[in-house]
Amino acid sequence: MKKTIFRLYYVWQWEKEEKWLNEMSAEGWQLAHATIGKYNFVSGKAGEYTYRLELLDKKLKSVESTSYLNFLKETGIEMVGKCKSWIYLRSKTADGGFEPNNKTLYDLTHLLKVQELTNKIRNTLITMIAMAICTLLILENFGQSHVTEFLRGFCTGLSFSASIFSVIIIPFTNKSNEKIKKLIKELYTFE
Amino acid sequence: MNENIVLTEAVFYTLLALHVPLHGYGIMQETEKMSNGRLKLSAGTLYGVLSTMLEKGWIKALLSEEESRRKDYQITELGKSIVKGELARLEELVANGQKFIK
Repeated sequence: MKKTIFRLYYVWQWEKEEKWLNEMSAEGWQLAHATIGKYNFVSGKAGEYTYRLELLDKKLKSVESTSYLNFLKETGIEMVGKCKSWIYLRSKTADGGFEPNNKTLYDLTHLLKVQELTNKIRNTLITMIAMAICTLLILENFGQSHVTEFLRGFCTGLSFSASIFSVIIIPFTNKSNEKIKKLIKELYTFE
Repeated sequence: MNENIVLTEAVFYTLLALHVPLHGYGIMQETEKMSNGRLKLSAGTLYGVLSTMLEKGWIKALLSEEESRRKDYQITELGKSIVKGELARLEELVANGQKFIK
């Protein structure tokens, strides 16, 4: 049996997404393929696989990522989906799953990578808002025509939605900063 | 230069295991055996450990004869001296620990 589910998770909701995939696995639905917002499941043995989301350092096609994925394959971990540099990995639960040897360090690395990504997104959003506002100001000097009306509408919409997105990101960034500080403190005591 | 290096458990056991050439999965099995099943290296951890040690020259990658892309690794002389240094440090820890806890 197969089923496809459409769902959207923000980049900073990877824990939720991972939890959901593992819950599906526990119910006997194994992820067979994933791309942005779309998940294909195949029914299988309940809990057979454990899933993990990872953010690659380099692009998926790069030499570094290829060698990393080959290494994982050797140890029985396979990639079942991708979305840009996000990859969906799975391992037989009986093989021990993914538990990292140093959870603190692992979480810290992951958080920093996600934060780098959200910073990039936020910078893009801010640039978009700035450009849209500049265009709106320049358009003040032009008369009314279909083109200028269209551009005005487009820029207003763009800056409005980009502003909303950048506001959505703020709580995440604050929270993750706090988490990062806490994890670093832990590193001083435990290996 | 090696005096102040403190190795993680993963690095220490991997260096021990690599006294004979092994590939990634082999290292995981060997370290688990050595530690009586206590230390289960995760693939992600091991990959990070191996690439850092390659960079530092503590281990080297051996070219595999088969066409498979599976790489074997082995410890270098520098790596051996690192393990020695760490062993001395650990012995000091154990000796001092035993002095206090009887």
